[in-house]
Amino acid sequence: MEQKILVRDQESSSSPSSSFFFFYLCSSTFKNLFTEAKNTIPNPNPIIPLSPVSKMSNQKKRNFQIEAFKHRVVVDPKYADKTWQILERAIHQIYNQDASGLSFEELYRNAYNMVLHKFGEKLYSGFIATMTAHLKEKSKLIEAAQGGSFLEELNKKWNEHNKALEMIRDILMYMDRTYIESTKKTHVHPMGLNLWRDNVVHFPKIHTRLLNTLLDLVQKERTGEVIDRGLMRNVIKMFMDLGESVYQEDFEKPFLEASSEFYKVESQEFIESCDCGDYLKKAEKRLTEEIDRVAHYLDPKSEEKITSVVEKEMIANHMQRLVHMENSGLVNMLLNDKYEDLGRMYNLFRRVTNGLLTVRDVMTSHLREMGKQLVTDPEKSKDPVEYVQRLLDERDKYDKVINTAFGNDKTFQNALNSSFEYFINLNARSPEFISLFVDDKLRKGLKGITDVDVEVILDKVMMLFRYLQEKDVFEKYYKQHLAKRLLSGKTVSDDAERSLIVKLKTECGYQFTSKLEGMFTDMKTSEDTMRGFYGSHPELSEGPTLIVQVLTTGSWPTQPAVPCNLPAEVSVLCEKFRSYYLGTHTGRRLSWQTNMGTADIKAVFGKGQKHELNVSTFQMCVLMLFNNSDRLSYKEIEQATEIPAPDLKRCLQSLACVKGKNVIKKEPMSKDIGEEDSFFVNDKFTSKFYKVKIGTVVAQKETEPEKQETRQRVEEDRKPQIEAAIVRIMKSRKILDHNNIIAEVTKQLQPRFLANPTEIKKRIESLIERDFLERDSTDRKLYRYLA
Amino acid sequence: MGLSKDRIRFNVGGRIFETTSTTLANAGRGSFFGALFDENWNLSQPGDEEEEDLFIDRNPDCFAVLLDLLRTGDLNIPPNIPERLLHKEAMFYGLIDHLRTAKWGPFDGNRLRLSRSVTGIAPGDGTAIRAGPDGGCCVAHGSVVHVFDWMLEEHPTINLDYQRVNDVGWINSGNIVLSACERLGRGDGGMGLFSSSSGELRYKFQVSHDNQVKSYSAGALSFSPDSKIFTSCKGRSNEYGIGVWDQITGKQVDFFYESPGWSLGDADKLQWLNGKNCLLVATLFPRKDNCYISLLDFRDKNMVWSWSDIGSPATADEKRVRDAIAMEESNSICVVNEFEDLGFIDLRMDGGGSSVRWSSRSRLMKSKMPDEPCYPKLALHEGQLFSSMNDSISVFCGSDWVLTSRLKRSYGGSICDFSIGGDRLFALHSEENVFDVWETLPPPVI
Repeated sequence: MEQKILVRDQESSSSPSSSFFFFYLCSSTFKNLFTEAKNTIPNPNPIIPLSPVSKMSNQKKRNFQIEAFKHRVVVDPKYADKTWQILERAIHQIYNQDASGLSFEELYRNAYNMVLHKFGEKLYSGFIATMTAHLKEKSKLIEAAQGGSFLEELNKKWNEHNKALEMIRDILMYMDRTYIESTKKTHVHPMGLNLWRDNVVHFPKIHTRLLNTLLDLVQKERTGEVIDRGLMRNVIKMFMDLGESVYQEDFEKPFLEASSEFYKVESQEFIESCDCGDYLKKAEKRLTEEIDRVAHYLDPKSEEKITSVVEKEMIANHMQRLVHMENSGLVNMLLNDKYEDLGRMYNLFRRVTNGLLTVRDVMTSHLREMGKQLVTDPEKSKDPVEYVQRLLDERDKYDKVINTAFGNDKTFQNALNSSFEYFINLNARSPEFISLFVDDKLRKGLKGITDVDVEVILDKVMMLFRYLQEKDVFEKYYKQHLAKRLLSGKTVSDDAERSLIVKLKTECGYQFTSKLEGMFTDMKTSEDTMRGFYGSHPELSEGPTLIVQVLTTGSWPTQPAVPCNLPAEVSVLCEKFRSYYLGTHTGRRLSWQTNMGTADIKAVFGKGQKHELNVSTFQMCVLMLFNNSDRLSYKEIEQATEIPAPDLKRCLQSLACVKGKNVIKKEPMSKDIGEEDSFFVNDKFTSKFYKVKIGTVVAQKETEPEKQETRQRVEEDRKPQIEAAIVRIMKSRKILDHNNIIAEVTKQLQPRFLANPTEIKKRIESLIERDFLERDSTDRKLYRYLA
Repeated sequence: MGLSKDRIRFNVGGRIFETTSTTLANAGRGSFFGALFDENWNLSQPGDEEEEDLFIDRNPDCFAVLLDLLRTGDLNIPPNIPERLLHKEAMFYGLIDHLRTAKWGPFDGNRLRLSRSVTGIAPGDGTAIRAGPDGGCCVAHGSVVHVFDWMLEEHPTINLDYQRVNDVGWINSGNIVLSACERLGRGDGGMGLFSSSSGELRYKFQVSHDNQVKSYSAGALSFSPDSKIFTSCKGRSNEYGIGVWDQITGKQVDFFYESPGWSLGDADKLQWLNGKNCLLVATLFPRKDNCYISLLDFRDKNMVWSWSDIGSPATADEKRVRDAIAMEESNSICVVNEFEDLGFIDLRMDGGGSSVRWSSRSRLMKSKMPDEPCYPKLALHEGQLFSSMNDSISVFCGSDWVLTSRLKRSYGGSICDFSIGGDRLFALHSEENVFDVWETLPPPVI
């Protein structure tokens, strides 16, 4: 803008009262915006001061004055109003969808100018007032909409408002960026949303009606009606656009409350009328419906909230009742293998706190109860093989349940394991039975089964083995049974035997199986020894054959050697072997385990029937006596053979009392052997087979005294182990108090057996006596290691 | 027609411009052009019978500059266009952010050029200059703070009835925190939050000891990325230490009281170390007779590292530490003495006693000292170390801190403070009330 000031008669005018000033404004714009400047400054200086000046009273005295262009530019007071009117009209047009004739450039410029000329406040408040008026009008229209068209009308108006708001924001962009920014007012767009919220959504006649309409629609959908989900989504989206708090306060919260009420009633209805399986199906369906609903028209953040409402009302509140439901609860599902229902229960219950805990507890107590019955029922523990098979079946079953229905949940697996551990050890004979089961499988059961199947069975057995607390007892039995298998040559598969030993080794360590492996070595060496023996004694090819298995003491479960008089023919051979063996191995001692041997003898009966009898060594001794006499009394036999009475009785019983195998007869005829009985050869013995196997009447299971004996031996064997553990611990700790020793020893021995605290105490005392440890002189509870 | 649909003709203040809508799309939706071409405003489609130019009632020369900015991303201002006018036009079109980003490049201490020197009207020595996050700066003189935006337009001055401003700092481009001395008997002073655009006081930070609000003097400031403000505080009843406030709530969240024989409340420099989650506190000569540098861990109220020159033999050089800055990458603290010798203290060894490793090759200025020396200052920016001494700033790079550049201007006297931020370096001179703005050159054409 430039300005020219023409001064006339500057020097010459004499009239004090007449001075003329003209000025032109040579500006193309804003010409009309300037007020006339007053000529107040008696200043002849053509330079125009910019500062405001005071009025001078003596202006008349000066002749030539230059009127200062007073720079306090006052804009046309109507300017702002005019400009605002243009903008206001435009806002009206935009709201009436009549914006096609509007020039964005013009509106933007006008808004810009208003801000530039410090009318930002007017612009801002004007925009709010105009928009508010429009929205008030709209809310009346929405309110007037009847019934079903209410939501549609609301949605329509909302879309219109959004579009209008966008355009208004475009026009007011400059204000948004400068005036609003510097005055920290609410920006145009959020302001527009707030106005919609306050004037439409919170309009009293709309507010509750809107909420009720929405909740009604949800309710309708829950009862199976089809609703306009698109419209629903748009309206809910409006709430979300208005801000999280609006969505939560005006929709989500009442929605959750209504849902909670709905499901409270419905779940009560279901639980009265349905069994557990059906109930769970319905609950699952409701849950997926709600998740579906959220996906279709709610804020994704609501999913967690609404599902928790369903979970609480339908599951958590009825958890106990569902699990314990008569004839259809968890136990019933388990008993009837309802995997699908179990899976559903698992998936639903895992959603609520303590849900899985409840399921797990019920399953555990059921398992324990069931297992307890299984192992303590005398009927069921009659046959060890079946007993173990039943255990395996139960385990398989629950493995499958956990696998298919409980998602292989680790906590359930742990519960299963701890339950088994609990009840297997309730029956003290479990270790023996498991060993017998293995014995059975490795004797004959495995015939015709592939290696892979063998592995599977053995793996399962190992599983049960892991549950045992008294693993050393198992070892004892296993050794016995393995010895029998090996000595009688009954073992079916060497590979299977070794495979199991490898498994035991990985489970319990080298120590556990070293003796078992020693047994295999003995068998192999004995074969070689026999070959050598007969190689060095070629003259022995005639006459009886002696096969000796040399067993290392300690590796084998030998009983104290029972003295027994062998028949002369045999004892000669035995002597020869003894001298051969001791000749090749110096410093060894041989003792005969006649109680473990067998013999094949040829016999000719009355009418010339020839048979080969397979008998035990004791039986052979008895039968050989009848080569020299027809009839012998019990006393005579006992004297001649010196077999211990119980063994002799058993041996005679099997020779005389088993039908079809009674190669001798006794008088009087009876089942039991008496001290006064007498025996003679059964001339009339017949058999379809040439080879006859005379078994020994031996119960496969141990008899009571035998059991006691094994037990005692186990206890005896534990003593050195406990002592070793104590010494190991004390050696590293030097000083330790009583309770800690007990705890550590128990922990260290856990993989093998559960050590008895009183026994540990005894061992400690024994060690103190032997000066391995001493009690602390001041604190009697402390033990000190003596190096 | 020859005109493709993409082409657009403008009549700006009487001059015809032709461009494409893709070029204008660079302006973004939040600009005049973005709104203009929004489908809401059904602009007469190109190709309609009588094609009319779009009229814009603005300055054509500036439009040309801004159109080129949108076309090339480069800003070229012909000498006949006043910068202020261009800024105003850019504001109109909503292109001010485009203009700012095009004006100077990403900061590199070795490619700086002096962009402007701004002469202030405040009397007396400047206390501090602080670069804002968006290229603006503020200068503290005595008890007033002058605020400049990135266009270097001065905003209303922050003028308090406080005694003396000790330090200022930017919370963000809209807010400045100011620490001031307390005037005896007035209960004022302390620390306040001010609007950078209006200079108004927005919030006053209070300090409480034993649940009692006490007046205090605030010293050096530092901010952490998790919205905490730290300042060294001196209370009336010997409540010396480091106060911690939350930027969002404005509430005092912590106070680290200084222990006897160790100075915290007098600290001249605070620096938040994000990696270590510690605050570096340095109290340097001459405020105290000795230098104390420590690292504070506020989580367990522990001084995790400390160093002092107490007891170290005063050598002939009188190597007093004048400024310190922690360098987390190299796990050390860089210090400088009044001869601009750089020294390094290893952070991995605690205490270290007198284990400053002075690097003598940086000793440059020893011979000629100006009449009115200023204490040297240090700054670190993305692996470059800056050190001011007298009238120049040295730039050191690399793991061995080799001197690579020197920023120097012929007048204004010594540099009393400088600051890097918003991709600019501001240097405040002490003799004349003038500060320099250094910017990085735009990247080369090829």
